[in-house]
Amino acid sequence: MASATGPPTTLPHRSVANIRSPPAAGYHGPSSGPSTPLRPITSAFASPSSLRAEEDLIIIEFGTRKLQVGFAGDAAPRGSIWFGPDHQRRVGDFRAWQTDYHDDWRKAAAGKPWGRDHELWQSDVRGLDLGLVGDKIERALRDAFSRYLLIDSRPRRVVCVLPSDLPIPLLSTALDSLFNRFQSPTVSLLSSPVASAVAAGMRSALVVDLGWSETVVTAVYEYREVNCGRTIRGGRMLVEQTHNLLAKHLPQARKETEAAHDSQQAQDYALSFEECDEITTRMVWCKPYHAATTTVTQTAEGLPTVQEHDESDARGYSTSGKAATATIPLKSAKPPTSLNLPYDLLTEPCENTFFDSRYSQSSFDDHELPVYLLVYRNLLNLPLDVRAICMSRIIFTGGCTGVLGLRKRIFDEVSHLIQQRGWDSVQGKATEQLRSNLKLNRSTRQASTGPTDAASQAGGSSGGGGGGEEQDGVWHDAANNTPEVDPIDEQLKRGGDKRPRVQGQMRALESLGAWTGASMISHLKTPAIATIGRDLWLQQGAAGASKASDVDPKTQQRQSLGAGGLIRGAAASSAWTLGVWGAN
Amino acid sequence: MAPLTPYTFFQCPCSEPSTLGRPADGSSGAGAGAEPDADDEDRAFDPRAPRSNYSLYPLEYLLYCEDCQQIRCPRCVAEEIVTFYCPCCLFEVPSSNLKSEGNRCTRSCFQCPVCIGPLATTSLESHPDPNLLAAPDNSAAPHSGPYILTCSYCNWSSTEIGIKFDKSNGIHAQLAKLRNGGTTRLTAKERKERRKDLLQGGGPATRTAEAAVDGRDLDVDTQFANLKAFYQNQLADSSSGGNGLSSLGDMGFASPSSLSRIMSIYTGGSLHDKRSKLRIGTMREALDSDEGLKIANLDESGAIEKLQEEGYDATVSAEQISNQTPNLGEAPLHGRGRFTSELRPIPYLLRTKRSKRCPICRHIISKPEAKVQATRFRIRLVAGSYIPSITIRPLNTPEASPGAPSDTLQPLKPVQFLLTFKNPIFETVKVTLATPAKTPGRFASKVTVLCPQFEIDANTDVWDEALKDGDKDKRRRRGEDGPHQAEAGKIWERGRNWVSLVIEVVPASLRLDLLALTNPTGGQEVDTGPLREDEDLLEIPMFVRVEWEADAAGDEIGSAPNKDKEGREKRELAYWCVLGLGRVSQS
Repeated sequence: MASATGPPTTLPHRSVANIRSPPAAGYHGPSSGPSTPLRPITSAFASPSSLRAEEDLIIIEFGTRKLQVGFAGDAAPRGSIWFGPDHQRRVGDFRAWQTDYHDDWRKAAAGKPWGRDHELWQSDVRGLDLGLVGDKIERALRDAFSRYLLIDSRPRRVVCVLPSDLPIPLLSTALDSLFNRFQSPTVSLLSSPVASAVAAGMRSALVVDLGWSETVVTAVYEYREVNCGRTIRGGRMLVEQTHNLLAKHLPQARKETEAAHDSQQAQDYALSFEECDEITTRMVWCKPYHAATTTVTQTAEGLPTVQEHDESDARGYSTSGKAATATIPLKSAKPPTSLNLPYDLLTEPCENTFFDSRYSQSSFDDHELPVYLLVYRNLLNLPLDVRAICMSRIIFTGGCTGVLGLRKRIFDEVSHLIQQRGWDSVQGKATEQLRSNLKLNRSTRQASTGPTDAASQAGGSSGGGGGGEEQDGVWHDAANNTPEVDPIDEQLKRGGDKRPRVQGQMRALESLGAWTGASMISHLKTPAIATIGRDLWLQQGAAGASKASDVDPKTQQRQSLGAGGLIRGAAASSAWTLGVWGAN
Repeated sequence: MAPLTPYTFFQCPCSEPSTLGRPADGSSGAGAGAEPDADDEDRAFDPRAPRSNYSLYPLEYLLYCEDCQQIRCPRCVAEEIVTFYCPCCLFEVPSSNLKSEGNRCTRSCFQCPVCIGPLATTSLESHPDPNLLAAPDNSAAPHSGPYILTCSYCNWSSTEIGIKFDKSNGIHAQLAKLRNGGTTRLTAKERKERRKDLLQGGGPATRTAEAAVDGRDLDVDTQFANLKAFYQNQLADSSSGGNGLSSLGDMGFASPSSLSRIMSIYTGGSLHDKRSKLRIGTMREALDSDEGLKIANLDESGAIEKLQEEGYDATVSAEQISNQTPNLGEAPLHGRGRFTSELRPIPYLLRTKRSKRCPICRHIISKPEAKVQATRFRIRLVAGSYIPSITIRPLNTPEASPGAPSDTLQPLKPVQFLLTFKNPIFETVKVTLATPAKTPGRFASKVTVLCPQFEIDANTDVWDEALKDGDKDKRRRRGEDGPHQAEAGKIWERGRNWVSLVIEVVPASLRLDLLALTNPTGGQEVDTGPLREDEDLLEIPMFVRVEWEADAAGDEIGSAPNKDKEGREKRELAYWCVLGLGRVSQS
């Protein structure tokens, strides 16, 4: 098995575009003149007939709620499998097809946390049955392979796209399934933020993953994750908030006292998870950013409709001034009913989940920061130049990007916050006073709008303060000084682009998604740092992984470049790594 | 809940070590009441544990490898594909097409995006010309107008998304060029031309504006292709400088998750090497839409307005969305995918016929006929013809009260069931049964198998039995002799190749308040959560061990009479199975 497959670069097959010399000189900056094009290094003993099977490298993206599979080089995954209770039944259990089964959701969901069986795993692995997770992965993959990829059960190389904060037990469960049940010879790991950045054509980006269990903001700089922040404000919370909104407006719930409703102890769900999930994807939207809305408090439960109509009229969103209402049928309520809710009320779950502007910004814990604050803080934590690059490469991914208007709202909130505060981590009344005090303000910086401002200010103030100085009898002026030549900078600039890099301004980019990024990376034959061989994994398990820094990539490269398996014998004993995932 | 007929599930032995031997790393939360850290061999199989759902199969789903003498479940077979075909047009797709054209039918087979019914291509003729009908010559080509796809089940038609076709065949190719609303997709050529026009027309100001517009309708497919071309260019450019190998070399980074190749190009080569310094550059980022850059269009006010105007009915259900294929001809949809106007007809997923091999000895254990239309199998070794089947029925003793509903079991009231084991093989088999005295789970019912060890006669010819009927007559008719009691250690009834025996069950009470009293767990917290799904089901795990003697190597059937002891070998098979007896009444 090991001889039949090799590390990624041994693959002799290349697309034609690679073999040809760089086309159309001048298309991408100066071409490097006539040169022998890069040839793929073919493994000496691989016969062309064995290529077919090797060709399809499978890309798997693991998410909390779904799994996406496809072949490397495709623009989109071939299929996705959603985890759900129907996926966890015994083979031959056809109760889901019984007519009354789905109406009886209370019985089916009793005794289990609401909606948890729609998830593959939780990142809190304490109470998690890892064997069960492995079973779920196996069944989902088997299903996906035979239904969407239409492949047989020959061992194939796999690339996994994983969130970079995946706990090791879960990672090792996933790898166990792949190695034991699917016999994959190698599994490469790619982190999803980096893959998202690649799928946007960027080397650096601020990836805002509005995911299911968490919203993760990751700063990627030159293909490295440099900073990461998380908040529990994600899809799960959104669905729960939708449930609360709907349950509150159910006819029988109105009669109940508010006190009983508030007590979190009695977490009786009035509606099924499936229905709330569906309504969330169908109807929930997000209000556009409005300077006033940040301070509007929605405290009274019955009142806010009037208030909100005014706002919506002002923004011209409500059609022809009348109170537009949505009719939402609720089948899982008892008795089944349909609700008439004003459209503005349907923004409430989104508002509460991602922004929560009812509370002051200082009242949040680290794990529950509103998303825009998290984005801002993440940018703030970055070094100046990294921030400048990242803020103009904001990528929104994840399931919650489907909430209409949410991306723009977050983007606007962050822009507003930057305008208001600048890049100052100190905030509060004292800084406000300082800022408003013109006398004090003159010498310090003004509320800057971008990090480059700060940079130029810093440079300018030192130059302006000194005004110039005399050295060796020559008048050195900061303005006329020739800047010191930095070889690395030079090299960076030589990238061939005459056009400047966009930086220092807020800009959102569209990414094709982590899966597509991984497909692109694998298609371009870029070896991943974390590539795990089956034999080594079965021998050593996760404990055998060394730190990424201890692994000598040269050995791996040599292994891949060596003809056939000559050097592989030596390389087999070499260290391997799990990359980011094995860091702790 | 519908009345439940008793059922049996079999566990494939392949999943046993993983089910039982999982290290105790916090899996205690799953199986409530499972004894922690009991010896692995003592631990009974728990049919209620969520993991057991993945290893239990009805007998019909199991195969059997004759050479390994082992049950093979869908998890432990190696599959090979015999044919690919479209389930709609039954066209056999060559495997080479699969890579290039994807996993869906590329002819004219589509599913309705609303109800997944099959779509038919019909001609859109709103006003049939009466002359046309009168003239018989013209009837050969009456369908000339634009064509649409219609669903005969829910009346959805492609006019709802504004799509009409010029030709009635090759719908897949036509659809790929059309966007919802009827506009055609820009080809790469058109895109370039349009760009050129605009570039000639205006200065830099219009150019940026144009770039934004151009980027806006950059669809997924084009963006991917542009990005790919861009990256390939960059890789070729930046690595052609060095000698290729050195650029792959120097990488001592601790960089997590970096793309080492690209990284190596970034720092790659040696800085003092003048020649390579001239040439090597970093791979830069994509700068415009030709290189796959796409500025996100964050303004979704149009979609929000549409949502408000059209309401709930204009949106699609989660199931419909999950059936949609990613629309590569459109920019990423994000929230707009929720509208019915964004639905696309779903090309049929191809299917496969697979042959199955034993993963260990590589013998074929199931092989369908290659022809798509045929449903026959050339080889199919189903487990049902190798291991005894179990059927269950309640034993109605005369004193049972007729008033009690038969489909639920009364708690704390002993019931007897009749298990019938039927031997499918031509040898006499010896069966040993074992069950835990109490079923696992929160509500432990008591189980007694009255006769755990017995022999079943061989599955001989039916006529054999009829001819030598005499001596077995007595045993078989025992039921009619009178009300005979089920006795411990004795089977109930025996036939040609079957044996039935009695199992006695005392169902547990499902009352939650009694749970703490009946389970003296000694200090452990008793789980008094509400009744979960299927907890009222009375399921009995049963370990079945089958032993028989068979001809050792060659299966010579003719040499049966001379029972040569050397020529025969002992075989055994052991597996868990689950007997579902019924629901315990909750009142």
